[in-house]
Amino acid sequence: MSVLGECLIAFVFGSCVGVLVQRSRFCNTAALRDAILFKSYRNTKALLVSMMILTVGFTGFMSIGEGHPMHFDVGLNQLIGLFIFGIGMVLAGACTVSTWVKAGEGNVGAMWALLFTFVGMFLFSLAWSVNYWPPAPASMTGEPNLQALQFGFANASTLQEKLKIPAIVFGLIQAGVLYMIYRAILRRERRLLKSAASASTEAEVIKKSPPAMGICH
Amino acid sequence: MEFFKKTLDPVIALVAISILDIFLFVIVGAWTVGGGETMMTGLAAKAILGSDIEKIPFWNLVFPPTFGYWKIYISLGMLFGAFVSAVISKEFYLRVPKHLSEWVMITIGGLMMGIGIRLAFVCNISTFLGLTPQMNLGGYLAVTGIIAGAWVGSLIYKKVLGV
Repeated sequence: MSVLGECLIAFVFGSCVGVLVQRSRFCNTAALRDAILFKSYRNTKALLVSMMILTVGFTGFMSIGEGHPMHFDVGLNQLIGLFIFGIGMVLAGACTVSTWVKAGEGNVGAMWALLFTFVGMFLFSLAWSVNYWPPAPASMTGEPNLQALQFGFANASTLQEKLKIPAIVFGLIQAGVLYMIYRAILRRERRLLKSAASASTEAEVIKKSPPAMGICH
Repeated sequence: MEFFKKTLDPVIALVAISILDIFLFVIVGAWTVGGGETMMTGLAAKAILGSDIEKIPFWNLVFPPTFGYWKIYISLGMLFGAFVSAVISKEFYLRVPKHLSEWVMITIGGLMMGIGIRLAFVCNISTFLGLTPQMNLGGYLAVTGIIAGAWVGSLIYKKVLGV
């Protein structure tokens, strides 16, 4: 596909996402933060449903060799990087998607968060240029490189190659695990509702909406 | 239109996004935000620094700035879509954080998000809705990291807010 075509499709996709996220106020940060702090699972459930659908969809296409899975070696940098990201997103009260969507709604805080995401990326580019870690994708081999704390490359397609079992089988297992987490959340929500009904003072505690702080609330 | 009057159930929104995302995965690749943001950083740095940017190896070896990178247009699309949607539903207005503490938290949070994305090569969207559904080992590492990070972040948030 031509570069222009790719960019055009990406823009159309992004626009649809922008409308849907704006209308639903979905936020990835809230999905984690509200579950941890406020025992409210509105966004967490949506995230899990999406992961189930995508797991089946992606592994399904990957078992027939279609699709464009991400291809780079992974290692401890994913763990550390997303740990830093996780703290940052709760402090800012927004994730990568909601910063764009909230900026589109006219939220100056979100624009400020975006600006500093860019600044952070630029600062990292300076640091990377000194120590060259994590390794650049061009130098990746797909094999473990323990010196650079890299474990190599593995996904549903490599599993299919090694074990000769279609990727979709693993996908269905993963979707099943995600569904179990989803069910557990539904049960927990029902329990919270029941205890709220029996004690009205507790109901206030549970229904107390998150304080208006950060970009997503 | 009714659609722009009521709040949409996030489950419905995410089901629709997931179906679109599967098409995108087959055509170019799964939904991601961090890569496009990095490219925009590179383009902005190039616009400001000019040819000096070639002295920073990162922008030669990992992300040579180019406008022909599809991931940029997902982000711009989200901005555009959200703007149009907010205007139609009469929800567009400038919201400025009131307290200094919010500005400080957003600044630190933004910086940490930018650094984290580049360190990991992935953002939160590629973690939950890209790598993990592809059963990439990195997805599981990243999910562990982001949950641990969100938990630590929540402890800090609690302390700052006193909730």
